[in-house]
Amino acid sequence: MNILVCLKQVPAKDAPLKLAPDAGWIRDDVTYETNEPDAFALEAALRLKEAHGGEVAALTLGPARAAQVLREALAKGADRAIHVEGGEAHRLDAFAAAEAITRAIAGQAFDLILTGLQSDDAGYGQTGVILAELLGAPHATIIMQIEPAGEKKVKVKRELESGNFQFVTMPTPAVLTIQSGINKLRYATLMGIKQAKNKPLATARLDDLGVTPSLNRQQLLGLALPQKSKGTTLLPGSPKEQAATLLRHLRQDAHVL
Amino acid sequence: MQADVVIVGAGPAGLACALHLARLIDTYNQGQPQGALSKENIYLLEKGRALGAHQLSGAVMDPRGLRELEPGFAADAELGAIPVQDDALLLFTREHALRAPITPPPLHNHGNYIISLNRLAQWLGAKVEAAGINVFTAFAGANLLFDGARLTGVRTDDKGVGRDGQPKSNFEPGYDLQSPMVVLAEGPRGSLSQQLFGHLGLRGTNPQVFSLGVKELWELPPGRFPKGRVYHTLGFPLSSDMYGGGWIYGFDDNRVSIGLMTALEYRDPATDPHNLFQQFKTHPYMRRLLQGGELVRYGAKTTPMGGWYSLPPTAGDNWLLIGDSAGFVNSQRLKGIHLAIKSGMLAAESVFEQLTGRGSLRDYPHKVAASWIREELWPVRNFHQGFEHGLLPGMANAALQMATGGRGWRDPLPTVSGPDRLVKIDQLGERPFELVPDGKLTFDKVTDVFHSGTRHEEDQPAHLVIGDWDICNHRCAIEYGNPCQHYCPAFVYEMQFDESGQRKLHLNPSNCVHCKTCDIMDPYRNITWVPPEGGGGPSYEGM
Amino acid sequence: MNPILVIAERKITAPGKLNPASLEAITAAQALGEKLGAPVVAAVLEAGESGCAAECAARRLERVLVARHPLLGAYSPDVWVQALVQIITPLQPSYVLLPHTYQVRDFAPQLATRMGAGLISDVTGFNFASTPPRFQRPMFQGKFTAEFGFSGEGVPGFCTVQIGAFRGDQAAMGAQPAPIAAVTVTPEPSRLDSGEIFQEAKQAVDLTQAPIIVSVGRGIKEPKNLDLIRELATALGAELAASRPICDAGWLPMDRQIGSSGQTVAPKLYLAVGISGAIQHLVGMKGSRTIVAINKDPEAPIFEVADYGIVGNLFDVVPALIALLKENPA
Repeated sequence: MNILVCLKQVPAKDAPLKLAPDAGWIRDDVTYETNEPDAFALEAALRLKEAHGGEVAALTLGPARAAQVLREALAKGADRAIHVEGGEAHRLDAFAAAEAITRAIAGQAFDLILTGLQSDDAGYGQTGVILAELLGAPHATIIMQIEPAGEKKVKVKRELESGNFQFVTMPTPAVLTIQSGINKLRYATLMGIKQAKNKPLATARLDDLGVTPSLNRQQLLGLALPQKSKGTTLLPGSPKEQAATLLRHLRQDAHVL
Repeated sequence: MQADVVIVGAGPAGLACALHLARLIDTYNQGQPQGALSKENIYLLEKGRALGAHQLSGAVMDPRGLRELEPGFAADAELGAIPVQDDALLLFTREHALRAPITPPPLHNHGNYIISLNRLAQWLGAKVEAAGINVFTAFAGANLLFDGARLTGVRTDDKGVGRDGQPKSNFEPGYDLQSPMVVLAEGPRGSLSQQLFGHLGLRGTNPQVFSLGVKELWELPPGRFPKGRVYHTLGFPLSSDMYGGGWIYGFDDNRVSIGLMTALEYRDPATDPHNLFQQFKTHPYMRRLLQGGELVRYGAKTTPMGGWYSLPPTAGDNWLLIGDSAGFVNSQRLKGIHLAIKSGMLAAESVFEQLTGRGSLRDYPHKVAASWIREELWPVRNFHQGFEHGLLPGMANAALQMATGGRGWRDPLPTVSGPDRLVKIDQLGERPFELVPDGKLTFDKVTDVFHSGTRHEEDQPAHLVIGDWDICNHRCAIEYGNPCQHYCPAFVYEMQFDESGQRKLHLNPSNCVHCKTCDIMDPYRNITWVPPEGGGGPSYEGM
Repeated sequence: MNPILVIAERKITAPGKLNPASLEAITAAQALGEKLGAPVVAAVLEAGESGCAAECAARRLERVLVARHPLLGAYSPDVWVQALVQIITPLQPSYVLLPHTYQVRDFAPQLATRMGAGLISDVTGFNFASTPPRFQRPMFQGKFTAEFGFSGEGVPGFCTVQIGAFRGDQAAMGAQPAPIAAVTVTPEPSRLDSGEIFQEAKQAVDLTQAPIIVSVGRGIKEPKNLDLIRELATALGAELAASRPICDAGWLPMDRQIGSSGQTVAPKLYLAVGISGAIQHLVGMKGSRTIVAINKDPEAPIFEVADYGIVGNLFDVVPALIALLKENPA
C-alpha cells in the first residue's frame, strides 16, 4: 500500500503567540512542531506499511523551516518526502493549499492519502476533504481506525458525535482525515535520524506550481485578540442564597439550564 | 553502538566544539584521500526538542571567541548580533536610579554584541549540520558508562517510560554509545558532569558557586529603550549583604531583555530569586520603562560564578569538560559565551589530535592554560569570593585585587558552597518581603512558566529525584522551611498539607525550566536533577 | 437580495428529529438575512417524511425545501453533495449556512469546492460594519479571532456555524408555518458503503461535546470529596472534568483534564469549583459560553473569565446547589 501523509508545521502547543504588527498573521518567532493530528496520521501510515508493505511518503506545505517535520517523518520511518515550499504558504486558504498539493503530486499514484482532521493554527478542517474532491477520490473524516478490506478497498472507523461510531468501506485511492489519539506515537530513534539523511527529499516551489493566494476562495482579512471577557457578577449572601441566585441567573439570564 | 566522539549538549561550547572539529577533519581529509576520517559516528546530543530550545542568557557577548570560529558573524543577518551602542551602570535605591558617573571598566561593553543565545545556537547548529555532524535533538545523556574508573561512553535517555516507571507501548530504550571520547558541554551543573565528579572524586580548589538569572523578554512601546543599549543595575531589590544585580539590554523590534542575577549564596532560605526579580520591576525606573509594554517570554538559568579556583580537573583519558560545565565564566565581566566557544574549540583540537594520533585529551588543560582563557580568568581568580559577605567588601576586595594582579589579600581566597551558607530559620530575624504579583507588571511563577514555553511528557517518572522524602516533609520543613518552594523559579516544588494536616512536598516536574537551582541549593543535597525524557523542557525562542 | 439557504441536519441517531444545531444555523441565517434584506430558506434531505421540514417550517422562513430520495436516508458525502448541488444551483443563494457538525465537516468543503465556492468554517459571528459582511471565526485554537470574506463572484458563500455560537431557542418563529416545497434530486449511489451507527464502551471521554461541564480543582483538598462534585455533576446532567493537579495526583483519569495539556472545551456552561485558574487551565475553557467560578480566594484569576462568581467555601456552596437542584431539577 502506497500512502501519502500530509503534515503541517504549526506553532507548538502552548507557545505564547503574538500578533504580527500588521495583524495579518502571528509573529514568526515561536517554536514550531508537527500538527498533532497529522502526527497521528503519520503513525497510522507507518503501521499500515509495517503490516501490509508498501511505501510512505510525507508531504508538507510551508516555508523552509517546515522541512523539519519532513526530517522527523523520515527519521520515524517514512521512505521519502516532498516539500511544497513557499514563504507565503500561510496565506493560502484550504482550497489553494489542496490545489498546491494536487499539483505537487501529479503523476504519482497513492492508495491512501492521510491528513490530520484539522490544523492547530488556521483550523480550517477542510484541506483533506477538498483534496479528495480535486483528486476525484472518495474520502472519510475523523477516522479512528484503518484496515485494508480486500482488493483496492479500505475499511475505516469514523467518529461521530456523542460517542457514536460507524464503519465505512470505500474503494482506494481514498483520502482520510485522522483523529488525534488513535494510536501511540513512536519516537524517532538515533538510527532513524541517521538514516533519514540518505532518504530522498524532493522540493516543489509554490511559484513553479503556479499557486498563489489569488486562488483563495476565502480571504483572511485580519486577526485580533478575542474580545475581553465580560464583567463578572459576584453573587452575595449566604451559601444558600448564593446557590439560589446562581441557579436563577443560569436559568433566566444565561438560559443554560 | 560504537561512537568516535560523543558531545553532550548543543550550547555555544558543544556547538563550537563540533563545528571546529568538523572543519579540522575536513582540512585533514583534503590531504588524506586514502585514510579519510569519517564524521558519521560523531554524536552531538541535545536534550532540548529543537536547537537552542534550552539556551538562555542575557546576553551581551564578547566577540572574541565567535570571531575566531566564525569571523564574519557580525555581518550575518540570520544571527542578528546587535553592536552595543552605549552602556551604563545604574545604582537603584528604593526610589531612585542613580547613574554611576563612570561605568566600571569590567562592565564596559563597547565592541561587544547583544545577542539571543537561542538564536546563536540555532545559527551555529545549522552550520554544524551542514558540516556533516549530526545534532540529535531530544536526546539527553542519561548516564555515563564506566568500566571501573574509565569512562567508556554515554547512555541516552529511555523514551516512553510511564509515571510508574513501567515501559509504555511506545517504549524506546536508550542507546549505549560506547565512545573513547566524551565531551561534556552540558552547561551549568550538568547531570552527567555531576556523575563524573562523583565517580572520580573530582573537585576544584574551591567548590563551584552559582548565581540564578531570572529573565523576561518584553516588548515596549516604540522608542522607549534604544536597540544596542546595555544597562546594568546594582542595589534594589537586593539587600547589601546579597550579591547580584539587574540588567536591561535593548534588542530590535522594541524588545528588551530584562533580568536579575541573584547569587545562590544568600543566608535566608526563604529568599526567592523569582520574587526578587518581580520586585526589581517595581522600581520606579523599571515601572516607567515597562509601562504599556508586554511580557513576551520568560526563563531562568544558573551560571557558575566561582571562576578559576572553582574549575574541576577539565580532562581525563576519555573525557573533557567545556563551557559552563567546567565553569569558564568571567564573573567580573558577567561573560562566558566567548569562553565557552573558545574552550569548545580547544577541546575540538584535542579530540582531533587524539583521533589522528598526534596527541591526547590530556593536552586540553594545557591548551586552556596557554590560551587567552587563562589570561582572562587568572587576574580575576579571587574576584567572586570577595563578594560572599556582600557588595561593599567585595568592591573593596576587587579594588585591592586590581592593584595586586588578582592576588588580593589572600590567594587562593577560599569560598563556601552556596547551600552551606543557608541559616536555619530559628536563627533568623526579619524574613524576606514577598511581593504579590499584579498580573500586569509582575507575575506569579505559573504565569511566567507559561511564557517559557515549557512542556514535558506528563506521563513519565519525576525527573527531580528526592533522596529521602522524610527530610523534606519533616526535618527540612522545621529547620529551613523548605527553601525549594522559594528558590525554584518555576513552581516545581510545592508544600501541601495532607489529610492529617501534615506538611507534604508535592512536585510539579512538568513546570521545570531546567535551571538546576534545586540540584545546587538544597541544604541536605537531597534533590538530584536528572534529565527528563528528551525533548522536554522550555522553549526559549528569541531568548 | 438572493436568499440565504440553511441546510438543516437530521439527528444521526434519531433521523425523525432535527439536530438542534440546525436551529442555531437558522438563528444565524435570520440575523444575516435581516441585515442584508434577504429571505431565509431552509432545506431538508430525507428518504421519507421525517417531520424535520415541519420543525423547520415553524421558524420564520420564506420556505422550506424538501428533497426526498431513497438514497437520502443514511448520510453519505457523495450523495449529499450531489443532492445539494441540485438544490443550490437553481436557488442561487447568496450564502449557504450549515451547522458545524461532524457530518457537515465531512461534506461541506467538498460541496463548496464542487460549486466553485469558498467555505468559511466554524463561524461565530458577523461583522456588519463592512459590506459585504465579514465572518468571524476562531484561529490558533481560539487564541485569536479572525475575520474572513469570500473572494469568489457569482457563487454562494458557504459558512458553517459554530455549535453554541448562536442560540437555537432564539430562532424567530413564523406567524404561520412556512410553505414546504418539494424539490427533485437525482443522486447517484455513493462510492462509500456505510455501516450501522453504533456506540461502544467509552474508552476516552470527549469533553468537547459536553454541553455542561463541572470542573474541579485543588480546592477539593481530598479525593474522597470528589463524590460531592460528582453529585453536583449528576444533578446538572454535566460531565465531570478537572484541572491538571487533580489528574496529576491520579484522583481523576487524565482524559478528564481541561487545559493546555488536556482538552480544550467550550460548553454552554462551565462550572469551575475550587479552581484558581492558572493560565494553563484558562486556555482550555475560556471559550465557554457561561462560566461560573466557586472559589474561596477572591483574587483567583478564574474570576477574571467568570460570568458568575461565588466567593466562598465550596463545601458550603456545592451542597446548597445540589439541594436546590434536587428540589427543582435542571
